[in-house]
Amino acid sequence: MLNFLKTNCAAMAFAALSATSALAQATPATYPAGYADLVAAAKKEGKVVVYSPTDSEQANALINAFQKKYPGVAVDYNDLSNTAIYNRVVSEFAARQVGGDVVWSVGLDLQVRLVEDGMAERYASPEASNLPGFAKYKDSAYLTSIEPGVILYNKRLVPAALVPKNLADLTRLLKEHKDVFQGKVASWDPEKSGQGYVAMQDDMRHNPGFWPLMAAFGEAGGKIYSNSGQMREKVVSGEEVIAFYVNGAYAAGWAKANPTLGIVYSDDRTSAVSRAALITKNAPHPNAAKLLIDFMLSQEGQKAMGGAGLPSVRSDVEGVPNFKSLNELANGKLQPIALDATLLDNLDKTKRADFFSRWKQAMRR
Amino acid sequence: MRAVGDALIFRRTTIGLLGLLVLSPVGLIIYQSFLDGPFFFPTAGFSLSAFAYVFSDPDFYRALWTTLVFAIGLVAIAVPLGAALAFLLTRTDIKGRAWIEPVVLVPMFLSALVLGFGYTVSVGPSGFVSLAVQDVIGFVPWNIYGLPSLIVIGGLSHVPYVYLYVSSGMRNLPADLEEAARTMGAGLPRIAMEVTLPLVLPALVYSAALNFLLAFESFGLPLVLADPSGVLVLTTYLYKLTTLLGVPSYHLMAAVAVLLLIITLPLVAIQRRLLDRSRRYATVGGKGGRPTRVKLGTAGQIAALSLIGLWLLVSVILPISGIAVRAFVDSWGQGVDLLEHLTLANFQQLFKISSLSRGLVNTALIAVFGGAIAVTVYLVVALAGHRNTSLAAVALDYMVLLPRALPGLVIGLAFFWLFLFVPFLSPLRATLVSLLIAYVVVGLSYGLRLIQSTLLQVSPELEEAARTSGASVRRTWTEIVIPIVRPGLFGAWAMIMIIFLREYATGVYLMTSGTEVIGSLIVSLLASGDLATIAALSLISVAFTALGLAVAFRFGAYAK
Repeated sequence: MLNFLKTNCAAMAFAALSATSALAQATPATYPAGYADLVAAAKKEGKVVVYSPTDSEQANALINAFQKKYPGVAVDYNDLSNTAIYNRVVSEFAARQVGGDVVWSVGLDLQVRLVEDGMAERYASPEASNLPGFAKYKDSAYLTSIEPGVILYNKRLVPAALVPKNLADLTRLLKEHKDVFQGKVASWDPEKSGQGYVAMQDDMRHNPGFWPLMAAFGEAGGKIYSNSGQMREKVVSGEEVIAFYVNGAYAAGWAKANPTLGIVYSDDRTSAVSRAALITKNAPHPNAAKLLIDFMLSQEGQKAMGGAGLPSVRSDVEGVPNFKSLNELANGKLQPIALDATLLDNLDKTKRADFFSRWKQAMRR
Repeated sequence: MRAVGDALIFRRTTIGLLGLLVLSPVGLIIYQSFLDGPFFFPTAGFSLSAFAYVFSDPDFYRALWTTLVFAIGLVAIAVPLGAALAFLLTRTDIKGRAWIEPVVLVPMFLSALVLGFGYTVSVGPSGFVSLAVQDVIGFVPWNIYGLPSLIVIGGLSHVPYVYLYVSSGMRNLPADLEEAARTMGAGLPRIAMEVTLPLVLPALVYSAALNFLLAFESFGLPLVLADPSGVLVLTTYLYKLTTLLGVPSYHLMAAVAVLLLIITLPLVAIQRRLLDRSRRYATVGGKGGRPTRVKLGTAGQIAALSLIGLWLLVSVILPISGIAVRAFVDSWGQGVDLLEHLTLANFQQLFKISSLSRGLVNTALIAVFGGAIAVTVYLVVALAGHRNTSLAAVALDYMVLLPRALPGLVIGLAFFWLFLFVPFLSPLRATLVSLLIAYVVVGLSYGLRLIQSTLLQVSPELEEAARTSGASVRRTWTEIVIPIVRPGLFGAWAMIMIIFLREYATGVYLMTSGTEVIGSLIVSLLASGDLATIAALSLISVAFTALGLAVAFRFGAYAK
């Protein structure tokens, strides 16, 4: 076993060595003059360790593009769930054995919490000026994507006339067409899913129709899941016919690949989640981490992720879904969740307890 | 009349080391349950707030009650069926034994998570079997979501655990007792009930108690089959607590884990008392005797084979066909022609993504070599407690079941912390060694009990004879005991391999880039909902296990 590990490591080292001979890269003019030093320092570090719940398919697109640009810096990618990531970061910090360099997670509230608790390194990325204001927090955390909440439905089982145009419409349909929807509606389980909780909190704050929707959902015998993928599976099979607050970044790809699935961008307000990247305090490879963050936010990195299904948070990235094109799809009413201290409310024990008890009542659980 | 040179030093060192291995994670969890925050936060202080929270939460009582009902139902289904299966396969001349024997273990191959997922694809509301039935009779006569189906599926899928323990006991029984009963005119059911089963009572009691514990620890099935409709058991309740407060609430998790311990410890005590009388059942005497098998007759053959066939259909064919179908299609359900959606893309994905292909290799390494190391460790521990009635042996019995009484997720988390915060352990954290150690502890109760009950089958007179002739304890063990139980050891290796292959919860916190294992990868894929890849991984893991088992059976047969 140990031998196997050794061979593995040796192979990785060899790959890194042989890669350094590849050519130097051009850096954009907006980057500071000393940027070449950062690149050199990153190469000396040789790798960057990433903790993220992002699906491998999307993550791989980013990793491959990054490695093409900076062949000397290997990406050690750890696919972990939101809460496992937070657990690992705070434990490693406490044990003074920080292993992760970049934390890239959909748990936006936990990311802000890490910044507030001093477990994130300050880094003013030269790319920050290209990001919209809601996408950066205290020169430490940056949003990398825009993932709008959509309605996902089964085209075979929901007649065209009964496809809702927005959430208020869905509320009405759930009440009026029990024959189609009763026991066959799905959404997030906010007690289990951090992402779902963030999305629901945002809608609750901005959408007066939120509680009526929850009441109709509960009355329709709605079922709850802890991720978009499970909702997709249920809607594809027809076990559920419709799901709402589904992550639109993934759903767009699913609908393209599978003719059974249809998606609706609300013609009212569309909220969007995202994933935030930050550098850990005391990161073992700080320069490589900075290089990766800059790359993630750059035209090139955004394009690579956009091509694999994570729409760009910027508006100037051509050829892939971006903030501007999604906003058009959402009828100009796309309102991304801002990366700011409001998110910390999500972690307030009393507020959570109040929300859950009201939600359970609405859901009749 | 304990003789001098009873290997006391060996026994005490072994039990002491094991104690360290088992008690440090358990102790950490108990300590954590009495704090009001993560133990590594300087602000955390002693407090009973975690218990206060849990005891004031109506969900806790609901989950506790559901778990009890589930556990009792599961044991009531699994134990009689498992015992009947063991009797038919080891004591009678049932046809097709050669292929039935490995197949009955299949439900154990799969992590419960995968099993449940397989059922939703085949007999779920939109499953292909359900839809076919609906076409014929107009409606689907079952609902796989909810407590009743959880009990039935849980019970059926735990039959192999009973079978393994009971059959390994039955296999060594000489046939003369049954033959005597037969000569006196007793029928088959009477022989089974009054002769064979009482002889393997220790194994029956073990398996009943273990299954009860397993039900308490069961996580995957309730998560898939009970959770969407809002039915909670203690483990899914505990899992919910990890995210309920937004920030992982370790003290609450730990408090629930400690309550689980308190519930299950009395069970261990009962088990021990029953075991104390087990010496009465030692049945491999000095004179050997291969079992001759009870004849079933034509009607008996048909009845027995259809019982086994029906059970296999429900607990093996339905879930595995579900997984197999899902692994090869990109769409399924109502109005979908599966043939139009056939694809190999789900498997190609495994080889494109390095963490997944590494996971396959690591899992094979952990199962095969790790399994062998684990069996060695368990044998050493079992010998340390063998024919030993001292206080240390009592401690051993309790210690062994401690980690099993805690959910794998919690044990894994405790080991993650140990490997992080204990200085000399931290270099091991990013290697497979850390996973192996955690796995050895998690598999301890299964493996050790299996080896112990095999050791107990060796009649004391054989060992006493060796000792009287002047052999040391060590020589007695290496030249008498171990050779006799060798088939049992191979069986144990096969079983540990299976356990390690399907283990999923333990690695969730512990695994890191480079040490991925299939089971925990499935959990993290489940978190993102990539069910197509999960199905492909599961199918490969089933294939792995089938291969391992074939090898083990071959070796086992040879060793006999």
